[in-house]
Amino acid sequence: MTRKIVTILACFLILFLSSCGSENTSKSNRVVIGIPADINTFNPLFAFTVDEGAITELLYLSLADFRWNEKQGELEAFPMLAKSWEWAKDSSSITFHLRDDVKWSDGIPLTVNDVVFSLDVYSDPVVDSRLYGIFEDLYMDKKNHIDVKKTFDVKSDYELQINFLPNSSPDLIDIVHPVIPKHIFEKYDRKDLATAKDNFSPVTNGAFVLKKWDRNQSITLAINKNSFLYNPDNINELVFRVIPDYTSRLTQLKKGEIDLMETIKTGDIYDLKSNKNIVIRSIQGREYEYVGWNNIDPETYNEKRELSPNKFFGNKKTRIALTYAINRREILEDYLYNYGELAATPISPIFKNDIDQDIKQYNYNPDMARKILEDEGWTDSNNNGIIDKNGTEFEFTLTIPSGNPLRPYEATIIKNNLKAIGIEVNVETMELGAMLDDIDSKKRDAWILAQYVPIPIDLKSYWYSDLQNTQLNFVSYQNKKADKIMEELTVHLPKDRQKELYYQFQEIIHKDQPVTFLYWMADIVGINKRVKNINITPLGAITHCWEWAVK
Amino acid sequence: MNKDILKALTKRILSSVVTLLLLISFLFILVRLSPGDPTQKFLSPDFSPELKQQVMADFKLDQSLTEQYLNFLANIFQGDFGVSYDYRMPVLSVVWQFLSFTLVFASISFVIQIILSYYFALKSIKKSGRVLGKLLSKTSLVVYATPSFVLGVFLIFIFSAKLDMFPSAGLKSLDFDSFSFFGKLWDYIIHLTLPIVTLSLAGIAMFYKYLRDNLEEVYRQDFILNLRASGFSESTILKKHVLPNAVRPLISVAGIELGILLGGTLITEVIFGLPGMGRLMMASIFSRDYPLVVGCAFAAGLLMIFTNFIADLVKMKMDKRMIKGLMN
Repeated sequence: MTRKIVTILACFLILFLSSCGSENTSKSNRVVIGIPADINTFNPLFAFTVDEGAITELLYLSLADFRWNEKQGELEAFPMLAKSWEWAKDSSSITFHLRDDVKWSDGIPLTVNDVVFSLDVYSDPVVDSRLYGIFEDLYMDKKNHIDVKKTFDVKSDYELQINFLPNSSPDLIDIVHPVIPKHIFEKYDRKDLATAKDNFSPVTNGAFVLKKWDRNQSITLAINKNSFLYNPDNINELVFRVIPDYTSRLTQLKKGEIDLMETIKTGDIYDLKSNKNIVIRSIQGREYEYVGWNNIDPETYNEKRELSPNKFFGNKKTRIALTYAINRREILEDYLYNYGELAATPISPIFKNDIDQDIKQYNYNPDMARKILEDEGWTDSNNNGIIDKNGTEFEFTLTIPSGNPLRPYEATIIKNNLKAIGIEVNVETMELGAMLDDIDSKKRDAWILAQYVPIPIDLKSYWYSDLQNTQLNFVSYQNKKADKIMEELTVHLPKDRQKELYYQFQEIIHKDQPVTFLYWMADIVGINKRVKNINITPLGAITHCWEWAVK
Repeated sequence: MNKDILKALTKRILSSVVTLLLLISFLFILVRLSPGDPTQKFLSPDFSPELKQQVMADFKLDQSLTEQYLNFLANIFQGDFGVSYDYRMPVLSVVWQFLSFTLVFASISFVIQIILSYYFALKSIKKSGRVLGKLLSKTSLVVYATPSFVLGVFLIFIFSAKLDMFPSAGLKSLDFDSFSFFGKLWDYIIHLTLPIVTLSLAGIAMFYKYLRDNLEEVYRQDFILNLRASGFSESTILKKHVLPNAVRPLISVAGIELGILLGGTLITEVIFGLPGMGRLMMASIFSRDYPLVVGCAFAAGLLMIFTNFIADLVKMKMDKRMIKGLMN
């Protein structure tokens, strides 16, 4: 009996070993991308996350698309659904000429009516779309809903004029967004669009169509052979595989089960480089790490809603001293293995025309930090190792979010660096959501976070003095001169003037040092060498995937 | 007797409903009072500040906590747990998508835990004092003390990365749809082997310890000696006298363990990329998806109550004297 069981088990084992093994993607012209979390919609109206944005842009095209011009360090528009466009001489309108060969995946032709409908829905307050409230240059009603009659002038099925507000400063990037099918979504009450069934089995116009969605497992996109973007030599299937655990994702990349993964930790680069099938690339300059110094006093603000300088960080000279005291290069070299570069201002080095290369870093110099603090009246009057001023010891809490091992490492270095100049730092770790809540309500003194920077440059959302309407000015930075520059930058300017203003702004922010800019961090991407034609730019790794090929 | 059972049963159901109501009410208030809110994701230069306000109003988060709670109560009595902020689907539909996997996954693991722990406990008792018995006892301690995230990563490293015998993550292959019925079955088996081993080993070790100690204790009782002296076979003593006495205390533990498993097996789900309740609940907490947090807690609470009830019924079946006590 036992022998029989053993024989049966052995047969099963042989069968098993011969049939299982790694599932590799080389079977077909397919590329598999590992992502940490599933998306929740295929409708670009509600594509709030980075992955949702990347995937919906493969399914839904816009009137124009953008590429990154590496030499100039700026965006470059090129035709997509619109084969051409022309601006009125006074920039009061733009006329798009649409391609007449684009059809939705259900066979219905795409016309300007879809474009008008899309912008109308994007701006409708009852929809809560991701673009609600951003169409500042168009004719709107009181609720920020686009006035369709005044804004759109439909010349024909394939020609559309968009009119702008007088004295506004419109930009192409503000009005070209993924176009959604009117004939599908007009049948819904707009309040119900967020939960519409067609968000999950979408009718699309893009280079790919949705083939299959295995919720929380994988999303399979097939190439759209009817698209004008179709090239039979390129990939025919793109799969987004949901693998929440970082280590599992990395294992799958090494095994060839996935072809691409982003946000690789610097500690894994050495191992990956030894794998002959993988190439390492990086996306530079989209995110900087910083130590936020609350410029205002948290207690006064929360108790009386009044602004008074923070007792530690309200003075720009003190903030400069703190930057001098932090050994940023040590963290960059020892933890990030130089995948990044020191930051001096919030203008990313990718904007080659606008970054002021002459701005000098406040390089690590504890003696200079001590001297500045002493000049500011911070001395160790009671010889207890902690500097003090008017009876207040320089001791504060540095808050870091949990979950990223870089942050405790940085916090330890910073704590030790500041201890060396007589400042006592208590490090507190918080869950990110709870921490953001505190920072947003100005309750924290100091913290470490990363800041993602948009393209094109947007300074006003972060540094403008109107604290009620500048939701990302966490440190409550205020400078009237900087405000004027940011106001002037909101309108179209000749490139030289724009550059001049950006230079002035960088000089001001460098001298004010509202935060300590640590470094620009690179997003490290691992790619299987069999995938070709991937163009890694600051716009990301997963863009224009229809141009990818498998060799 | 039937009347008694019916009365006790009604009482039990009513107390369960109250427990569930208290649980979700507590959570409803707790998640709203804790820092952060669902509109935090709109703190980005990509979105306008107006969007945050608009969404707050649409989610009715600008109402007072009392108003929100009264609306919530009115809705749940109609079976409406609201719409998930992230999934943009009714909460119960989202929960069901994840729960269906967890039900199957946890049940398989539970059955394996019970069968193998039973087998090893009997083996260990029979080989008590010998090498095998000692080895099983020591190994069970080591396995029980090993955290599942260590075990999971270790298994992936050996059996997936090095030996290439199993896929490292996921529930099925990308080409699953093109497989035959047996191919699909096989695909599930190879994908779920490592997760089930990871999930089950600690449970096997735990049940093994309980069962072995209980068996040992019962074997030491005088009545067993008496039965042996009376000439009963070892097999009869085990089946009729030892097991019923040894298993009874284990049933309560098994009920709780099954309830925990059905509530989600977070670490295993995350490591192996499986779509279970644990992952859903964690994600809903981090993104402050209030209706989904409450929905997940409701499902987990309901399952915990249900499995405990089943455990009590099994105990009752084994010993009818326990009816009143268990039902109350």
